[in-house]
Amino acid sequence: MLLTASNIHKTYTLGKVAVPVLKGVAISVAQGECVAVLGSSGSGKSTLLHILGGLDSPDKSPQAQLTFDNRDLTRFSGSEINHYRSHDVGFVFQFYHLLPELDVLQNVLIGAMIHDGLGYSTAASERTAWAKELLTQVGLSHRLKHKPTELSGGERQRVAIARALINKPRLLLADEPTGNLDRNTGATILDMLDKLRADHQYTMVVVTHDAATASRANRVVRLADGLVVQSFAEAAN
Amino acid sequence: MFQALLVRKYLFSKIMPLLACTGVLLCVAMVLVIWSVMGGFLDLLIRSGRTTTGDVTITWPNVGFAHYDDLIQRLEKDPLVEAAAPLIETYGLIQLPTGRQEMVLVRGVDGPSFLQVTAYEDIIWWRPITKPLRKDVKGEDLRLDPKYTNNMNTVLQQGRTLTRIDEETGEAQPAMVMGIEVSRINAREAAGFYSPRVYRVRMPDGTMKDRDEFLPYTGEVVLSLLALDKDGNVVEQATRKVPIANEFNSGLFEADSKIVLVNITLAQQMLRMHAQQRRVQADGSDSTNSTKEAITPPTDDDGPIRSGPTKLIDEPARVTSVLIRGKGDLGDLGSAEALKARAEKIYAQFAKDHAGQVPDEFSITIATWEDQNRTMINAVQKETGLLLFLFSFLCIVAIFLIFAIFWSMIAEKTKDIGIMRALGASKFGVAGVWIGYGLAIGIVGSLLGAVLAMLIVKNINTIHDFLGSAFGLTIWNPEVYYFTEIPTRLDNFKVIGVVIAGILCSVIGAAIPAIRAARMDPVKALRFE
Ligand SMILES: Nc1ncnc2c1ncn2[C@@H]1O[C@H](COP(=O)(O)OP(=O)(O)OP(=O)(O)O)[C@@H](O)[C@H]1O
Ligand SMILES: [Mg+2]
Repeated sequence: MLLTASNIHKTYTLGKVAVPVLKGVAISVAQGECVAVLGSSGSGKSTLLHILGGLDSPDKSPQAQLTFDNRDLTRFSGSEINHYRSHDVGFVFQFYHLLPELDVLQNVLIGAMIHDGLGYSTAASERTAWAKELLTQVGLSHRLKHKPTELSGGERQRVAIARALINKPRLLLADEPTGNLDRNTGATILDMLDKLRADHQYTMVVVTHDAATASRANRVVRLADGLVVQSFAEAAN
Repeated sequence: MFQALLVRKYLFSKIMPLLACTGVLLCVAMVLVIWSVMGGFLDLLIRSGRTTTGDVTITWPNVGFAHYDDLIQRLEKDPLVEAAAPLIETYGLIQLPTGRQEMVLVRGVDGPSFLQVTAYEDIIWWRPITKPLRKDVKGEDLRLDPKYTNNMNTVLQQGRTLTRIDEETGEAQPAMVMGIEVSRINAREAAGFYSPRVYRVRMPDGTMKDRDEFLPYTGEVVLSLLALDKDGNVVEQATRKVPIANEFNSGLFEADSKIVLVNITLAQQMLRMHAQQRRVQADGSDSTNSTKEAITPPTDDDGPIRSGPTKLIDEPARVTSVLIRGKGDLGDLGSAEALKARAEKIYAQFAKDHAGQVPDEFSITIATWEDQNRTMINAVQKETGLLLFLFSFLCIVAIFLIFAIFWSMIAEKTKDIGIMRALGASKFGVAGVWIGYGLAIGIVGSLLGAVLAMLIVKNINTIHDFLGSAFGLTIWNPEVYYFTEIPTRLDNFKVIGVVIAGILCSVIGAAIPAIRAARMDPVKALRFE
């Protein structure tokens, strides 16, 4: 298993009221697998994804278990978490989350810059070539100098996908990648993700509340009431 | 790496960085302009002090000391010394042609050596000039008038030698060079030059008469001095008519209204400090009961009868000071100290060789120009310090400005911060973006501020004139400050210091918002709308 999580709790406290969102979630994802997380709005899908991506941490408890490649994420130091986020994980968000000041190419390259640190300057041309290659794969090679505001939603999401893949992550976490797109555009994005996965061999967890999206995954996990209520393998597509 | 990219992008993105840069720019420029004007003011005061006294002076006030020519010779042999000159300083009363009586500081100087030791040449006022003063746009300065060129040359020569040719006898007479403000006959024009004005005098028969006179041609004053013997007793009051050779303008009102220079030979004679013979008791001791006779020259030899045998001895001439000018420019604070130490050494040897005849090396005063102008320099320095202290509040203003601007920018950029963290940027890295941004704003603002300050300082008089003519604003009133031009001095080290301070302020102002950015919870930042 590349990624395992069990007994994951997440509780938000609003004032004095504790709001439990995740109440002992267990999920494991094998290398190369694509898992869809289904659930209604507010069921904690994004929260789970953030925890898996090292962006958020589960409630501290001895039972909580979270490993990536047999390393215990709950014991990671701050810099190890940063390293995990930049080297092992690629995030695709529902709302694209591009930096508005940067153009398309820079938005992709910034992932590489954060990943490389000072070493970026020596690898810059190689990284730029790879970023252009990725943008070609997502069909945006002609829009390199455009600002995010000059792109459509689908195009922005494709930039976000290219950015998520710039560091060749082993794990791609996508939070409703098509949630804001119309059906056709969403389908194109999903086709693209499938194709890219075939090329790049990354493991993928995709959050959605859309059954059609889920149907493309190897396996679907349903989240309800803070627990994984159902986990079943889809018929191979 | 990504910080550099973001800083560059942010810097050219919005109105905010422009505001922040402008704030820093104005603070830096303002501090620099104020500092350079104060520095220029101090500089001018120092220079005017040095103009009339040289770098180091050896002084035994009032009664003076003898063998000064030997001392000057010894001094001038020293490699540190460029030249040395004798000086007599005393107070006196002058009666001006207008009838006014003025108490003045009288300096007896020897023209040629005084020229070598001080900047006297530069301050002699009446001389032919070819270029008008900067503000004298109409060229009304009468020194410009070609028809006076010859006369002005004569007068300049008179000033240099402190003599004036007597029209009747054709002989060069020892004369006086007054500070330009002493006589009150010269009208000071706004452009900074002087025009002699018609003045009224009361004639012996009681009628009033207008007189239009150029002092260096025919003017005379009556000078009264008190002669002291070497013990400091007043021996007599000497009064003489002294022709005026020229006038000087040092730019310092205090000096120009209170000091007159007279030919040293005249001063020595009037003060009984010239070489003379003196009657003493035959046993060699001074006659004690009457110092008056003791210094009375042999020509007035009808002194009271005294008991015991007496004899005549040679009494050498005396001066109150010897002025020394060092080699090279000793115009910076502290730079005349070495010369002073050397002068002390030379004087000690001199005092040893003339033991009993001159004050010993422990009593004599040996002072640099800086020591002499200490109170004035201290005052200006203190004022500069105070102003800088007040203006350091501008630094705090700059810090708060940057702080406020950054705080709101970070609020606005919360989502970006979340994205950076999600992509793996460390807290430190995120803080680095904002610190770097503050640094960039500081560098751009401070450098532009320094450039602006240099432009202002360079053209400050033009700007001031413009303000004056356009809005009737006169900040630097020449009547008050007595400099026609606003003095400025902008050292490189000041510029560098203020630029660094500006950059530091920006970084400090950015630091707290940067920490806030670093401590943001990435998930909350991403959910931020
Ligand atoms: N910082 C927070 N403080 C309090 N409650 C929070 C906070 N963040 C999330 N929640 C709550 O946690 C629950 C789960 O949120 P989450 O975003 O994970 O849901 P989701 O399944 O992704 O929903 P959606 O499909 O609408 O994106 C929600 O009820 C939300 O209100
Ligand atoms: Mg969500």
